[in-house]
Amino acid sequence: MPVSPFARQTRWGLAVLAGAILAFLYLPIAFLILFSFEVADTPGFPITGLTTHWYEVMLSDSAIHTALFNSVVVAVIVAFLATVIGTMAAFALVRGGSRFAGTSRLLFTLPIMIPGVLIGIGLLIFVRRAVGLKLGLDTVIAGHLVFTTSFVVLIVAARLQGFDRRLEWAAADLGASSRQTLRYIVLPLIAPAIIAGALLSVTLSIDEFVITFFTIGPQLTLPLYIYTQIKFGVTPEVNALATVILVVTLAVFGLLSLLLSSGRRYRRRGSE
Amino acid sequence: MFMLTFLFLVPMAIMFVFSLWRTNTNFDVVADWNLNNYARFFNQPTYIRTFAKTLVMAAAVTGAGLALALPFTYFLVRYTSRRLQRAVLLAVIVPFWTSYLLRVYAWQAILGERGALNQFLMGIGLIKEPTTLLVYNDLGVFVVLVYVYFPFAALALYAALEKFDFTQLNAAQDLGARPDQAFRHILLPQIRTGIITACIFVFIPILGEFLTPTLVGGAQGSLIANLVVNFFRQAQIPEGSALAIVIAVFVTIVLIVFRRSLRVEDVVARG
Repeated sequence: MPVSPFARQTRWGLAVLAGAILAFLYLPIAFLILFSFEVADTPGFPITGLTTHWYEVMLSDSAIHTALFNSVVVAVIVAFLATVIGTMAAFALVRGGSRFAGTSRLLFTLPIMIPGVLIGIGLLIFVRRAVGLKLGLDTVIAGHLVFTTSFVVLIVAARLQGFDRRLEWAAADLGASSRQTLRYIVLPLIAPAIIAGALLSVTLSIDEFVITFFTIGPQLTLPLYIYTQIKFGVTPEVNALATVILVVTLAVFGLLSLLLSSGRRYRRRGSE
Repeated sequence: MFMLTFLFLVPMAIMFVFSLWRTNTNFDVVADWNLNNYARFFNQPTYIRTFAKTLVMAAAVTGAGLALALPFTYFLVRYTSRRLQRAVLLAVIVPFWTSYLLRVYAWQAILGERGALNQFLMGIGLIKEPTTLLVYNDLGVFVVLVYVYFPFAALALYAALEKFDFTQLNAAQDLGARPDQAFRHILLPQIRTGIITACIFVFIPILGEFLTPTLVGGAQGSLIANLVVNFFRQAQIPEGSALAIVIAVFVTIVLIVFRRSLRVEDVVARG
């Protein structure tokens, strides 16, 4: 119960502030979407009229097709490798009982925390100067793997830590081999975290700009294409493309949040 | 583990080696061991000034982020139902996972000369002509950075506040503490890890920010990472590497010092 005589005012003040912050978060996105329907060829106020013309332009733009194709190829490979490697690493981290658990944890945290500029430039020097290879989509994949794998490790490790090991012992008592226990008990239980890690890797990879900027060759990914466009000014076509990307990201994100919350519910029930 | 070493630690080590070499007049890198690239950083006022400016900007954005996120999450946890909390939190996370490039781009349309803000200010008669006061300078960079990094701060603080038992505040006040005392001595110490995590998640990425200054900062809005990028653009690899290593060392030290208080999962593993 509020004790202070001003509690009521405080509460209303906070509510207004919270509303204002949410508006602050969504206003730019709202404008971004609004301008994608603008008739004039520079987005901005005043709105001269509404049209879906820029969506048609975008859909028939072959540069966008190529960039999208590159982005998807990179994202799919990155998600697959990051999920496999990250899940294995999470097992090693949580189950390994290593003396270096604290250090490994820090090591997996670093790629998430270290600014992408440094990862990108480091890889650029490594590939071009030390190894002498050409830059291309493969180097972009390598760059994305550095941080997406760490995300998968952290997400799967978090799930493994909340995992009731007695379930495995029960399976073993009932005659399951360790392979069967893994296949029928462990993997299904941590599947939401693994799938969430994979989806997160896809989203992060598709949206990634900074590392890609340094590690890509002559090709373009979608964010790189957008960057080349907006460096020379804003066009409603980019807004249309941005709107589509936002909607797709939201859809993937909705799926992700459903997966994570379903797993959480199970765990809560399990611990009661 | 092997992959991470190969793709992350080895490149960092190579970058360090390069930072100790030099570029000759043909822009070739020569394996001539020296510390000049570092010495130059400490000697040239431009670098020191930009680095200091970056630290001030990062601190200001962190401060603003906390100042917004603390009352925001406090209100959420204390005064709203769990259902609403989930929904609002989701609303905060969504922009956080959408493209960073697009979020910065979105601000160009607001802060720019034909932007929404200018039109609004002219509409209410506050200004007669479009102002460039808010774009292509430090203020624009500040606003956009607060926008981009607010969700990190909010998530970290929410995770800490969620575990806090608010009846403790009432208990403290029953025992004679003023609300501000209860807040300072009961609440703050218990959400310390959340506050530190929030600070780290806002402060550190700004040390590597080059996109926001490029798109909304204009000529005078450059931060330290812009200098690094410029060096690499001009093929001055040893010079750029030295600057990059300075940032990397700084970041790593911060992470090691605060490693026990840093809850990465609170921020990244929430759905």
